[in-house]
Amino acid sequence: MLFKTFWKVVSKYKGTIILYTVMLICFGGINMAANNNTMGFSDVKPPIAIVNEDDSVIANNLVNYLKDKSTIKDIDNNYLDDALFYRDISYIIYIPSEYGKSVFTENPKTIEVKSSGDYKSTLASNILLAYLKVQDVYKDDYRGDELIDKINSNLDKSANIKIKSKLDTTSVSNASNYYSFASYSIIAVILFIICLVMCSFNEKNVRRRTIISSINLSSYNMSLLGASLLYGFVVFVLFNILALVLVGDIMFSLRGLVYVINSFVFTIVTICLSLLLSTLVKNKNAISGIVNVVALGSAFLCGAFVPASMLPNSVLKFAHILPAYYYINTNDLLKSIEEINYVNLEPIFKNMFILVLFILLFIILNNIISRLLRKRNS
Amino acid sequence: MFFHNFIYSLKVLLGNKTLIFWSFAFPIVLGFLFNLAFKDIEKNESFNTFDIAIIESPQFSDDVFYKEAYKSLSNGDDRIFNITMTNKDDAEKMLADKEITGYLEFLDSVSITVNQSGIYETILRFVVDEIESNKKMISTLVKDKLQTAKPNEVANIIEGIKDKVINGNATVIDKTRDNMSYTMIEYYTLIAMSALYGGVISMYIINLKLANMGSVGKRTAVAAIKKGTLIISSLLASYLVQLVEIALIFIFTVFVLHVDYGNEIGFVILTSLVGSLAGLALGVLVATLFKTNENAKIGILIAITMLGCFLSGMMGITMKYIVDTYAPFVNMINPASLITDAFYALYYYGVNNRFIQDILSLIIISALMIILSWRGLRRQKYDAV
Amino acid sequence: MKNVIEVKNLTKEYKGVKAVDNLTFTVKNGEILGLLGPNGSGKTTTINSILSILKYNQGSIKIMGEEMTPDNSKLKSQIGVVFQDVAVFDELNVIDNVDYFCGLYIKDKKIRKEYVLDALKLVGLENYKKYYPKQLSGGLLRRLNIACGIAHKPKIIFFDEPTVAVDPQSRNNILEGIQKLRESGATIIYTTHYMEEVEILCDRIIILDKGVILASGTSEELKELANIDEKITVEGIEVKTTLLDKIKANKNVDEVHMQMNALIVTYKKGKNNLVDLMDLLKQTKVKYASIYSEKPTLNDVFLSLTGKELRD
Repeated sequence: MLFKTFWKVVSKYKGTIILYTVMLICFGGINMAANNNTMGFSDVKPPIAIVNEDDSVIANNLVNYLKDKSTIKDIDNNYLDDALFYRDISYIIYIPSEYGKSVFTENPKTIEVKSSGDYKSTLASNILLAYLKVQDVYKDDYRGDELIDKINSNLDKSANIKIKSKLDTTSVSNASNYYSFASYSIIAVILFIICLVMCSFNEKNVRRRTIISSINLSSYNMSLLGASLLYGFVVFVLFNILALVLVGDIMFSLRGLVYVINSFVFTIVTICLSLLLSTLVKNKNAISGIVNVVALGSAFLCGAFVPASMLPNSVLKFAHILPAYYYINTNDLLKSIEEINYVNLEPIFKNMFILVLFILLFIILNNIISRLLRKRNS
Repeated sequence: MFFHNFIYSLKVLLGNKTLIFWSFAFPIVLGFLFNLAFKDIEKNESFNTFDIAIIESPQFSDDVFYKEAYKSLSNGDDRIFNITMTNKDDAEKMLADKEITGYLEFLDSVSITVNQSGIYETILRFVVDEIESNKKMISTLVKDKLQTAKPNEVANIIEGIKDKVINGNATVIDKTRDNMSYTMIEYYTLIAMSALYGGVISMYIINLKLANMGSVGKRTAVAAIKKGTLIISSLLASYLVQLVEIALIFIFTVFVLHVDYGNEIGFVILTSLVGSLAGLALGVLVATLFKTNENAKIGILIAITMLGCFLSGMMGITMKYIVDTYAPFVNMINPASLITDAFYALYYYGVNNRFIQDILSLIIISALMIILSWRGLRRQKYDAV
Repeated sequence: MKNVIEVKNLTKEYKGVKAVDNLTFTVKNGEILGLLGPNGSGKTTTINSILSILKYNQGSIKIMGEEMTPDNSKLKSQIGVVFQDVAVFDELNVIDNVDYFCGLYIKDKKIRKEYVLDALKLVGLENYKKYYPKQLSGGLLRRLNIACGIAHKPKIIFFDEPTVAVDPQSRNNILEGIQKLRESGATIIYTTHYMEEVEILCDRIIILDKGVILASGTSEELKELANIDEKITVEGIEVKTTLLDKIKANKNVDEVHMQMNALIVTYKKGKNNLVDLMDLLKQTKVKYASIYSEKPTLNDVFLSLTGKELRD
């Protein structure tokens, strides 16, 4: 009976529900697609742009060298500053005209640069300066082809490097980023929809009627939980289908299974939080504000948008009181665990255990508070 | 009549505490959260000194050039890394525990061992390469120059070469613009969001004027007053309230969050005025275009605002750049992005064509939204009330 | 008397259902016209059409001889409306609410102040000026709703079920207020599904059902239609079948039936019914607790016209 009333209210808001669900799931997809082709940590060649106004052998050799050591992006000169500001490139190198000729004179022309100031720009700057230093040293003693040969042979040797990890970090970190971002979408959509529907449902006259009917309070709460779980489950399934489409292979591994389980537990936490908030919030005008603050707040503080490793320690410490922190932490751990085994999964189990505690906490609080409110109303 | 309705509209809006509180508190709380999250991000993204280990070996300790070179890189304030001298087992352990980025082993040639491929690993390799390059330069020059040198000059030549290689520094001119703090975009999206979210205010006041949205609307509909006068004076009151809110949010971002809007204060204010106008128009459009209850209208308005903010970089700054680059049209009709972009243009470039284009687009879009709403606003007879 | 409102062949369909079907009626200057009908009979639709906020399919509406359009502000300024739903701002207190709506008609501040106070006095809210709507009881809220609708002293006033869910005290206050408005010269159109109110208040009554006029006239005229004239109730009586037969023998008697332990006898036209019945009871030595005679109510009229009770 209650179930029916619940779905009646749901159908009144079906437009809003579909709008939000589709929109927030799309956020996850667009975000993933957008960040896929930008630089990640694993991208070891700094992205730069070169504006070369000199067609000399000297200048061209520098450009060839930079091509080898960095990723040169082809960007319209008008948009270079934008690209630098948004960190699409970290460094811009301007080679002035007649540069090649002037190198051998008393007053050589100087290369100009713009830098984004991040570590990639430091690397780009090192690459450029190392080359220029070799050129500076050799230009007094050699000329023409010999100079070019000397420079190139001096720079062509590279130290032998051994990499311990065998994990394909790119696709795993893509999966982690997708699931971490999803924490925002999941909270926003489930919180908003459940609070909106519950608020209509709880509106005084409806409330009075359901209390009079002889159902006891905890079974009443249980059936609301059931209806909410159903909606939450739909959202959960949609997000994981999108993950399959976007991330692919990884999802069929043991690691993928952990992502799925993690997001499942988190969905339930969110549902319980929504029920608790809908018990507390009676004013429909306040819902959208509160939902946005909770969703965006926990996303920002726990590292859904900005990697947790970039957040200040004080923020991370505070984030420990938010469930999203443990969910995102698990995603981050999955990024660096090389082999899925019992020992490595231990911190992940710990995170999930804490999430389960959150579920219990929210359910208990919800029961206590609705009991208190009912007493006060009657 | 105009003034009468204006004053009472103000009273009604200011009397609606929930509406005012949330459209004001929401941006403030978010701004505060942004501040927490972004305080350190640019610092963390800039280059930081890292730790490495070097395995003790005669090839290293007997080579004066190596010892000097690595020493100079690990000394002083602008050092690149800190070095721990150790044995291979300890170095392996430190690497496994992620205490060091990597370790160097000097045998026949130098080899680097790291955990993964990453930017610091790349910098480490690069530094090692540079030292090797310097070493090679010295040996090349020494070999070539000594062929023709007189014996008494040998010592001087070698010193000269070493000095040139070790102390020589290439120079470039840094022309980076002053305002490079890209997290400012977040705060600009916040202002954009506040401006558009202000649409709930204009929507509220318009809903009260629509006969199909409630009994108050019906009562005003039967009153002997021109609907145009009623609507315009109500919207003026709404605009005033929105502007006061955005001004307060502005003051908060400047004085509490230390957001930098660049140096063109007058144009920053212009942007806020036009941005609020877009918010007002959006509220009016949603109120008149969608024939549904008030809650659903609020839902639609917020969905539009959040979508706009998402595309202008609120949930990840790169998003704005991506959309600007690959789908510029989307952001040309997205008021949130236009507001953000206008602030960005002022901050990064100052007043330029881009800024003017943003402001003009905002005005045109606002005007279009009002024109689209006009029929709905002027409607006096309904199919159902 | 001049016709203030003329409605001709008004028809309004909602999704294929005729809410108002070919309605024609007039309202005369200075009268109180009652529109009586159950929920969904088309009363509110009729009013909204007259007010020109609702599109209708066909028909014409003239007020004071002029075509009513949304832009006819001359006519609009003569009209006051008290809607079924309370139409006030939650954010404004009592006096501000009345002042706001009055201000949509009256520009002069001094006159307006006077008018607002008159309206508050009329509905008895003088002592609640600074209260906010949320602080008022249902009855007081309804009175505020009325004050907002009539503060500008309109010539024509529509009351759409102003007494729904109102306590008896507020109801009396409201009905008295409407009388006073009429005394001051206003023409009033009053809709309700409470028959008692119409009987007390209205000069003329139109009975609507399913968008069609079933009957119209004064309360007396309508009762004539119902073909019953008197209803006698005898309480605390022990009835034998022989008695019932004797009562039915009177040719004036329309119907005899028992309700609880009361005997109810309805009569067609005729004289001395009560005396005749009392004589009969005396003759047959039947004992009873009390006996009384009533004129038929509009409910009886409605019942006989439609075969259903007016109140649902």
